[in-house]
Amino acid sequence: MRRSRLLLVLAAGFAKPVLAQAPAPSQNATLRQALQAYDNVDFARAIALARRALLERMSGPDQARAYELLGFAYSATDSQVKAVDAFKQTILLDPDRELDPRRISPKITSLFYSALGQVLVVRQLKVDSARFVGGQGSLPIRFTVTSPARVRTRAVSGAASLLVDSAVVTGTVNVRWPARLPNGDPVPAGDWLIVVDATAGQNSFSASQPVRIVHGTVDTLPHLTSLPGYQELPETEIAPQSWRPVGLAFLYTGGALVGTLGLESASLGSSSKRELGIVGGAALVTGFVMMLRKPAARPAQGNILYNKLLHEQIVRRNQDIAKENVTRRQQVQLTIAPLSKPSGAGR
Amino acid sequence: MRGTGGRAALVVLALALGARPALAQQVTLGPQFVLASYREVTSGLRYQGTGIGGALSARYRRFSAAAAVSRVSFDPTSGSSADTGFTATQVDAWLAYDVAAYASLEAGITHRGADPEFDAQSVGAVRVGARAFSEIGAGATMSFRADYLAAPHFSGGGRAPVSIDLGLELDVRLAGRLHGTAGYEFQRIDRKTNPGGTGEIDAPIEQSLARAGLTVAF
Repeated sequence: MRRSRLLLVLAAGFAKPVLAQAPAPSQNATLRQALQAYDNVDFARAIALARRALLERMSGPDQARAYELLGFAYSATDSQVKAVDAFKQTILLDPDRELDPRRISPKITSLFYSALGQVLVVRQLKVDSARFVGGQGSLPIRFTVTSPARVRTRAVSGAASLLVDSAVVTGTVNVRWPARLPNGDPVPAGDWLIVVDATAGQNSFSASQPVRIVHGTVDTLPHLTSLPGYQELPETEIAPQSWRPVGLAFLYTGGALVGTLGLESASLGSSSKRELGIVGGAALVTGFVMMLRKPAARPAQGNILYNKLLHEQIVRRNQDIAKENVTRRQQVQLTIAPLSKPSGAGR
Repeated sequence: MRGTGGRAALVVLALALGARPALAQQVTLGPQFVLASYREVTSGLRYQGTGIGGALSARYRRFSAAAAVSRVSFDPTSGSSADTGFTATQVDAWLAYDVAAYASLEAGITHRGADPEFDAQSVGAVRVGARAFSEIGAGATMSFRADYLAAPHFSGGGRAPVSIDLGLELDVRLAGRLHGTAGYEFQRIDRKTNPGGTGEIDAPIEQSLARAGLTVAF
């Protein structure tokens, strides 16, 4: 008798944390007594009180807690079949129910998962928030089907029902909804319901997740004023000071002097070179001044060509952006956000 | 001869002015001060003088046109065998086409008339030559030209198998549209005459001419 008592205490010790993590106290007095009896390791009384509570009027969550308590109590008393049956009822009432394998004994956890494999439910239906341009994205939907079944995923709003996916699946399923009508247009804005129907023979289960779809305008692209990484180059450059001006002045003046000396007629004698001296002197002085002056900016042909190409590229890019913006102004940005599930969703 | 020179000057000016609307990319116009030396036949016949003139030029793309007129009063230099001076009116005109960024080919006319008519030779000829030019600094351009004077005509008759005209020109932009110009021109005309049919004798003509002035660019 003492040995049996010790085993019961050990079993209850494994299960207690789960019951302790229940979010809210039960509304049903009998169920509260059953939980108290389980805490006191009086499993027979806990089973009796839980079964009596199930005969009374209780809310869905309380019913799920009562069946879960039965599952734990039957597990503790080695009534595995009854435990699995109780867990099956728990799962049917609350498909998303999970046990924390770090805090629950492997024995109870294995019985829970055994029950999970014997019922057909759609669990963990999750719809992510998404924002995309109509026709260019999709809404991720994922859920878990506990048994092989024909699963149809639909999006429903009023009389409209759009089939998202239909397949025979089991386990974790990922589908994507492009949020488009059969004619390709984006779905109308408003509240939609993502419904997952699972059917296997006589068994069927349905889970749903409401979402809200909002239409918005698609952002247009700004026009470019420059290309990243490419900067305009100065179109003029200052040449370094050089001897070129005075050199050219010497060259030209020397040419005139040599030409004059060479062409002078011997019979007329040598001329005074007064005129050449005046003009040649002015040319040499000008050349000297030009040599000392800061050279004027001159066009940098390579840079001018580079800037021209850069401008042409920017113009071409802006033309593409303008075309893209025309398209974007005709598009619709869909923002899809999941709404909180109404209580008792599923089944 | 004097009447012919006047007509030639008018023709050149009319051509330049008439072409102005079409060549309207740049037109320059301005007065000039002229300094000149003139020698003829022998080393003892020498003149020097000063005068005034004007220049007109136009450019359109690769084409350019220019005309210059000067009127110089020559007086015999010291030691010259001449007794009296004379006044020379010279008209030069060019049409040029740029064959490169630094060179052009040109053709034109030159005519110099003397007053009194027989105190010096009046001469007219066709110019054919080439010009080299360079920008030696901001707004400063120099050019050197060499023209062959073809088909010369002289008031005193004769012929000239070799006649050359050299020129050196400087143009500096002083401020805005105002330019300062200076030019040197040397003419060597190897004239030969045959007075009385006794055989040809040399009667060369040389003139050095310097121009300095201001032009306004339009």
